[in-house]
This record gives sequence, structure tokens and C-alpha cells, in this order.
Amino acid sequence: MIFMDEDLSFLKNGFRLDGRRLDELRPIKIEVGVLSRADGSCYIEMGDNKVIAAVYGPREVHPRHLQKVTRAIVRFRYNMASFSVEERKRPGPDRRSHEVSKVSREALESVIMTAYFPRSVVDIFVEVLQADAGTRTAGINAASVALADAGIPMTSLVSACAAGKAGGHIMLDLMKDEDNFGEADMPIAMTPNGEISLLQMDGNFTQEEFGKALELAKNGCRQIYDIQRKALSDKYRKISGEQSKEIAGGVEVYE
Amino acid sequence: MDFMYRDVVVPGDLISEDPEKAGEGTYVKDDKVYSFLYGLVSTYKDKVRVIPLAGKYIPAPGDAVIGVVEDIVFSNWIINVNSPYDGLLHISEYPKKIDLSEMTKHLRIGSTVMAKVKDVDPTMKVEITLNDRMLGILKKGRVVEISPTKVPRLIGKGGSMINMLKTEIKCDMFVGQNGRIWVDGNEEDMDLALKTILIIEKEAHTTGLTDRISEFLKIEKEARS
Amino acid sequence: MSDDVISDIRKDYLYHLVLKSERADGRSFEEYRKIQLEQEIIRKADGSALVKLGNTQVMVGVKIQPGEPYSDSPNKGVIITNAELVPLASPKFEPGPPNEVGIELARLVDRGVRESGALDLEALCITPGEKVWIIFIDIHILDDCGNLMDAASLGAIAALLTANVPAAQYGLGEDYPLPVRDIPLATTAVVLDDAIMFDPDTDEESVAETKLTVITTANGCICGMQKRGSGFLSSEQVYRIVDISCEMANEIREKFLEV
Repeated sequence: MIFMDEDLSFLKNGFRLDGRRLDELRPIKIEVGVLSRADGSCYIEMGDNKVIAAVYGPREVHPRHLQKVTRAIVRFRYNMASFSVEERKRPGPDRRSHEVSKVSREALESVIMTAYFPRSVVDIFVEVLQADAGTRTAGINAASVALADAGIPMTSLVSACAAGKAGGHIMLDLMKDEDNFGEADMPIAMTPNGEISLLQMDGNFTQEEFGKALELAKNGCRQIYDIQRKALSDKYRKISGEQSKEIAGGVEVYE
Repeated sequence: MDFMYRDVVVPGDLISEDPEKAGEGTYVKDDKVYSFLYGLVSTYKDKVRVIPLAGKYIPAPGDAVIGVVEDIVFSNWIINVNSPYDGLLHISEYPKKIDLSEMTKHLRIGSTVMAKVKDVDPTMKVEITLNDRMLGILKKGRVVEISPTKVPRLIGKGGSMINMLKTEIKCDMFVGQNGRIWVDGNEEDMDLALKTILIIEKEAHTTGLTDRISEFLKIEKEARS
Repeated sequence: MSDDVISDIRKDYLYHLVLKSERADGRSFEEYRKIQLEQEIIRKADGSALVKLGNTQVMVGVKIQPGEPYSDSPNKGVIITNAELVPLASPKFEPGPPNEVGIELARLVDRGVRESGALDLEALCITPGEKVWIIFIDIHILDDCGNLMDAASLGAIAALLTANVPAAQYGLGEDYPLPVRDIPLATTAVVLDDAIMFDPDTDEESVAETKLTVITTANGCICGMQKRGSGFLSSEQVYRIVDISCEMANEIREKFLEV
């Protein structure tokens, strides 16, 4: 059990536990097209989070009764590997993963142009391989890129990150200790136009603190959007620039 | 093709401020044109469009397709055309008049056909036909699958690429809009044909491809003789 | 081709190649696809490995925690092996608890680790009758392009070989490397028209009816076997597969694993 002395520990001389500033994201790495069977895929690292997303679709819906005559349905399944967390997790969905799946689906549904594919389904799968707070936002970021990689028509990409409060300080992209011992956590997802498609919060904020956190998070989303966009555009450039070599995903590391 | 320099875009990228120019792969919002695909922008005539880099085959009437029989249900063969939507080949669209009980004798599960999409209704019910001299059952040869988004490049402007392949490689070829291509010839020629098709798929969106393929085929044929 | 039905033309082509002793991707019958192994890839796990076998990708995580022993073996550690064939890995996988294929996969990997004696279960006892180390081997399939079995088996032993017992966080002394006494490895062959082919890919798996997996130890003993699929095997085929399995497993051990 770690006992935190508020002011001294979460923030020391302007630096957080892992050396970041209050408005800094953890390092992000994105690889596009990492799986062969899936129609689109994306591997993402956000700090110590390692998450992989895959998209299958549009494809036939099973069971048939779930079909919609005029559009595709969207399904999202968030799952954590047993070895992804500190104490080994029993395999299979629990109540938390059901909730995360639901809000993640809702975060992406609105940008997917489902009317193009009646009677079909777009299946999104996210597997958390290593967790360190922020897996749902990592999952949404990876899913967004995987959807584009699969050629799914969307009005835009979606970018997600969380802001929160630890030791009384409003900060961006909480890592595990900040999340566990902090006072508030607020993941959001947003389109580049600033339309918010995911908003959750738990903990304690004054209205002013909430405003600060939201602005931090929106800023974080904008930075993540640039990284997602670059990863997709780099994947193509790699193919066109190296005509006789093996196709690989685009890999970039950002600090 | 009359394309201007190609830029990679992602869904949501602003393509043009002139809504009149909205072409395929784009949508209009607040009088501006945006991409809804991960693809390449191109200007063709007076429209801007986005060519997808990935995506499933969606059947359209008139498309030539290569399908595999998956099931037989009442008077229809269910044909997998590499799409979220299966094709239905009705017994009346078979080139011979046969009985319901003879269906599996003529076309059984696993058979491969060269077919045409006859009609697609708004609920994406896809009707397939074999009623045409150019269509039929594929009994030999090999079929390769590429991304359907690369088929236009494999065909080329006015058929330029595919015709070059047909001339330089002694194989019968049938290109399905659904990304499946059939070739038939002797072993060596089929190997070369498939190898070439896969290269075209890999490099579909690069410039100067036709010339490079022409060179490649010249070198391969020289190496053989 | 299509995920459900393999076309006659494709089947014919594969059989045609077999007659010429060839395979669709140019490999010989006794050749494995390119193997890439990365260990200690999940730092939060006590041991981990990512195996790429051709395009097949499998991740294995090992977690070691104290727990209660089974009542019939009060002074032995416990091994629990599970495989998740998650839907992201293949259009054929459905969400839900492991089906018979996943269960068989896990049990075979488990058999290899257990029967080879790779883990000394008595050494994993903390307090007899009360507390022992539980070794969780969790197999997470990421991309199914054929032969999940061999990839999972390699991943499991690779993860165990680099695993650490996290004794410190439970006040049980200092952390120490998990003692591993053997290197069990599964090798799988399919039989297609009398031809025996190792490391089948997706197409070969769907066309061939019969598979035999042989799990061998570092000194060439057999510690597990499983015939999978319908169809028959002759004794000659079995002997031949066992022979080649020992060779193949040794090659992989030498190249990728050290004890």
C-alpha cells in the first residue's frame, strides 16, 4: 500500500510520478495492419498499455435476426487478456468489460456510415494485452485506425484520451497509480471537429476543475488525432516507396 | 488515367471547398467536401474522388464475378462472391434447363463459376446469372484472390494492363470485379500470371506500373528461354 | 478463398502439388514457416512470449501467484493452462468460453509442460497442504493462419523459460527465475493423400482430414501425442511422423530456446 502525501508525490517541481508534465500524454506508438485474417487492424501502445484492435466487416450478421434491413449494425467487444493485469484475471467478459464495450461502440457508431451496408455487421474487437490505466481510450484509438484500415466509410476518425485529478492537480492521461490513488478520472472521445462521442467521469470535480480537465482532454485528443492520421498515411507511403519489399505497417514513436 | 498527383487521405479530411465537385468516396457537409475513406485523392474530369485503399466487394448489376457454391437452398444455389452479400443463382439462370433434383449434379458445393451479377435490390439481395456464352463452370486452372479495390488497376485504362498480360503470358484469364481472377494454361505460365497479378496488387497505387510490369514480363520470359 | 467452403479448384491444386512433392507456398513437406519469437514482451506478466509462425501470431502470458493446492496433491504446485481463441484472430472464432478446439489446444500444451516434468511441482510448494505456487499459462491467439498448436506450445515454453517467481510481493523471499527442467515442444503434421506435411497453413488444414501432434522433450522422448481430425493413420505414418517430429523440435529448440 502506497501512502501519498498529496502535494509532494503526484507532482514534484512540475513533474509527475513518471516524469511527465501535467498536460503531457504518455508516449504513443501505432502500427497499422498487423493482422492477416482481420479486414483491418491496429496495434497501439500508450505508455504501458498494449492494445490491439481488429475489424471484420462489413460481413454477414449471425444470428440473422439481428440484421437491420437498411443499414449495417456495429458491434464492439472489449476484452482483457488474463495476463494483462497485475493479478491474473479470469478469462471472459465481466461487468466492466460489458460497459466498456457498450460505450466504446457508442463512441464510434456515430461516425460509421452504416447506410452503405444494409443487412450486415461491422465487428470491432479490442484485446488488451497489457493494462496501465486508459485501456478503453487506447482501444477506441486503435479501433478508429483499424476501421479506416478496413476501408469502412466514416465521417471522420475518433480520438480518445482521459484527463483527471490526482493529488488535487488536474492532469492529462492518468497512468495506473494516478488513476488508482487519484480523485477523478474522465475519459473522452472526440472527432477532429470537437464533437464528443464518449464522455464518462467518476470521482469528484468542482465545475471549474471539470472545465480544466475537459480542455486538457480535448487537447490530448487533438494530438492523438495527428498521430493516428500520420500512422495511416505512413503505411501507404511505405508501400509506395518500397515497391519490391515486403509490406509492413507504419510505425512511429512519439514522445 | 487522368489523375493528378495522389494524396493519401483519411476519413474526415477536407478535400474541396466546392460542393459541386463531390465525387465517389466523399460526402458534403456545410458546403464543403470531405473524404469518408482511407484512400487516395484524385481529380477526374471535374470531380474530386477518393480511391479506397481497402474495402469489401459490394455487388453491382453487370459485374463479372467468380463465385464458389456454398449451399443449395430450394431452387437457388448460394454463391460466395467474396462479399458481405451472397449471390443467389436461381435454377432458371442456369444455362441448361434442369430439374430441382439435378441441381447438385450440375453444380455442387465447392464448384467455381464465372458469373455475372444480374440484379441487386435495395435490401442487397444479389441475383447471379450464368446465362451467357462467356460464363460457365471453372473446372481447371487456378483462382487467386486480390483486394477488390485493386481490380481497376489490374484491368487498366481501356483494358490496357490486362490485355498486356493476356498477350505476354499464354493463359486464359477472367477477372472478376470481386477480386477473384482465374487463369488457365501450363504450370509455368500460370505461375508467372499469378506472380504478376500479385505484384500489380501490391503496387496498384504507384505510378509507372504498366511500364514496370512490361519490363518485368520481358525479363521473366528471357530468363526462361 | 471463402472462409467456409474451400473451392474444388483450390483443393485440386493442393493435391496436384502434393503429387509433385510441392506445397502452395513453396515449402518442402518438412519445412516450417518463418518463426519469430519475442520473450518478455508483457512486462506485467511474470513470463511472456509472442510467437509468429508464418502469419500465425500467438501470445502467451505466464502469471505466478500463491494459492491453495489440490486436496489430492497437498505439496505440489498447480499448473492451469487456458487458451482464448478470441474472435479478433479469425472470422471463424466466436466470442464465448473456449469450445472443444480451444480446450483441446490448452490441454495439449498443458500435457507437454506437465508430462515432460519441465516444472518441478514439488519445488513449487510453499507450505504443504496450505500454500503453493499456481502457474497460470494463458494462451491468447491473435492471428490464426494455421497450426495454432505448435505456435502455442512454443509460446508457452518460451514464456516459462523467461519467467520469474514474484516471491517478493508476497513476502516469500526474493524474486527468482522459475526453474524449468525441460523444453517440451509440439510439432504437428497433416496427412494429405499419403503425403505427410509439417506445419500446415490454413488451406492445408482445411483440406487435410487427419492431423497428428507429437510433443517431444529435449532428449528426444515423447511426452504427449494427439491424433486430431477424422480419417486414419497407418503405423508407418505414425512412426515416420514421430521420427521427423523429434528432428523438427530439436531444430526449433536449438534456434530459439536455451535452457
